[in-house]
Amino acid sequence: MTRFARSTEMTLLVIGIVFFIGLVIASGGDLLAANSSRVLLQFLAVPILIGLAQMVVLAVGQLNLAVGAIGGFAAAAMGVLMADHGVPVPLALLIGFLLAGVVGLLNGVLVVLTRINGFIVTLATMTILLGVQYRLVGTRTVDAYPQGLKTFGAAAIFGVVPWIFVVALIVAGLLAVLLKRTVPGRQLLASGGNPIAARLSGISNDRSVIVAHALSGAILGVAAILTVASSPGVNKSIGGDWLLPSFAAPIIGGALLTGGSAVVLGTVLAAFIVRFVDTARAEFSLEPSWVNFVVGAVVLGSVVLGQVRTRRQDRRSVVKSPDAAVAGGVS
Amino acid sequence: MSAPVSETATQALQEDAPVEKPPRGTPWWANQRIGLLLLVVLLGALFGVLRPAFFNQQLVIFPLLRDIAMFTVVGLAQLCVLSIGHMNLAVGRMAAFSMMITGISYDLFHLTLYSGLLVGLVAGTAIGALAGWVIARTGVNSFVVTLALDFLLLGMIPLVYTSLTDNAAFVVKPPGMRELRNYSLADVCVGNVCGSPAVPQLALFAVVAMVVVGWIYSRTRLGRELLMTGSSVRAAELSGIPTARRVITAHAMSGCLAALAGFMLAVSTGSIKATIGEEFMLPSFLGPILGGTLLAGGFVSIWGTLIGTALTSVIRKGLDLLGVGLESLNIYLGLILLVALSTDRVRTLLSDRSVLGGPPLTSPPPPKREGEPR
Repeated sequence: MTRFARSTEMTLLVIGIVFFIGLVIASGGDLLAANSSRVLLQFLAVPILIGLAQMVVLAVGQLNLAVGAIGGFAAAAMGVLMADHGVPVPLALLIGFLLAGVVGLLNGVLVVLTRINGFIVTLATMTILLGVQYRLVGTRTVDAYPQGLKTFGAAAIFGVVPWIFVVALIVAGLLAVLLKRTVPGRQLLASGGNPIAARLSGISNDRSVIVAHALSGAILGVAAILTVASSPGVNKSIGGDWLLPSFAAPIIGGALLTGGSAVVLGTVLAAFIVRFVDTARAEFSLEPSWVNFVVGAVVLGSVVLGQVRTRRQDRRSVVKSPDAAVAGGVS
Repeated sequence: MSAPVSETATQALQEDAPVEKPPRGTPWWANQRIGLLLLVVLLGALFGVLRPAFFNQQLVIFPLLRDIAMFTVVGLAQLCVLSIGHMNLAVGRMAAFSMMITGISYDLFHLTLYSGLLVGLVAGTAIGALAGWVIARTGVNSFVVTLALDFLLLGMIPLVYTSLTDNAAFVVKPPGMRELRNYSLADVCVGNVCGSPAVPQLALFAVVAMVVVGWIYSRTRLGRELLMTGSSVRAAELSGIPTARRVITAHAMSGCLAALAGFMLAVSTGSIKATIGEEFMLPSFLGPILGGTLLAGGFVSIWGTLIGTALTSVIRKGLDLLGVGLESLNIYLGLILLVALSTDRVRTLLSDRSVLGGPPLTSPPPPKREGEPR
């Protein structure tokens, strides 16, 4: 218990609760009304998932620059299948989900086969997928898909907790169990934490990298489904603004870029905090730019604080090759 | 990353060797830059045959060279931080930030074109040094710091623009800006000999940047120290190099070059606005990486950056002329990036096999991967 009290998650939880109470007071209690709570949670589902999609690749010491592109591509594919080709909803969603998973898998395979740095591979797939997404939807907004899906996207339990938010939480739960309790998950974390030790213990680091990228793709597939369900239509800009938030959530949540850390709860809590910042922005009717500004400051602040904390724990020299570990890990 | 210092020093010294003459021990076809250069020439010829308009000096070559010049400077901005094994994800936003300062200097203080540029360069250097300082002080890795800085500036810049201007752009243009945009070397005459009308004057900025950066990396102690910091921080530290200060220097250089690129973009589009530099991130990595600069640090290639940038710009322009939609270009650019890097990997393997005795020095060693002993 004391360990939890000092963890990043605990800090985030306290910050989140204080922030929430402050917001409730500032809004004069309006935020507690069913409708505002629903809206608050409605726009949390996708940020949680994209944060998790990045977290899982960070856990193995890689990065995925293609989060937005994979999500946007899958969403565009689903929209076009349903609206233009009349594919039934469940089948279209399944195809989109599988496409996202396959692209993630492909990322992993490319990283392992070509030995090109994961940063560059995902940069390339990002570029390719952005083009494909544009090919699919062009400049139009695809919105002629069945009403049933949109009803699901807007539905909420007791009018407060949106179903899509529940889906995001279920994914987070599954991911936590997978990483902490199953053999592939433990192997993935071991590869991320210390590749040499992992290899000496008979773990295939290559397989861990592929699994992590495939998982990332699959989570983005779910994010794409939720996006299609909850937004009025699908166009070329979907996924365009996912990249920065995808890094913000895990980094605020305490993930190490060098790999080996699984911070599902931290990522979810960080997504909450970012969402609160956005709500506060709307509450005080400030420019949308403020959100980026505050999130940037928070990310910088949290990494510096985290560094100070580890520094205090074990005193090391000032320049202990800050990027040596990352370059090794990212490659 | 783990290359011994002596080898890196050799690489640094060979950096300024002419590209046509690869150093002993490596077959010429394993030199990445020659392959790239051939590819650029071949593609240029191919596009020229398919669409003779490709060789139109005013409408195609002039803007093409202007783009190449600008993106080369963007690439150099990234190259400076890559040389120490860092990344600068805020390269575009740093350009936007310095152009904002330049815009303010034109708008409120009525500075001339070049003193405004100078103010912008100083601002870019300052913001880059700030990033470097945070990285060196806290030891947090550069990816996160520059990403957070990117967020910060992304939020801050529009706020400043909306509070200072009416329609999110500085309208006051100093005299000479429009001329600089359109003038080519044909307007520069020495006696009766005039330059080519196809070469924009703006390209001179890129030439100056290349010469200065090339001189720093190949001739000065500073450049060698940066490369050594990149190849092994610990070894550099043990050899008495102030690595923390070198980290700050590299990021400051990156910020300065980003500011220059922002200025070139502002001049060629004719307006100073908040969206400057939005499209810089991808090209900033494409140029240096295609040209052989290592992501892990310790090896840079200035010529390679120019050729890599030229390759992407020629492809972009050529496909555009062939009628491929601008957005679909991305598909091809991404594929080319993957193929180019994969073939490079194959080439490195082949030349490794055919040349016994020592690893190839000009081609980058295979990227480090998970699980290899560090």
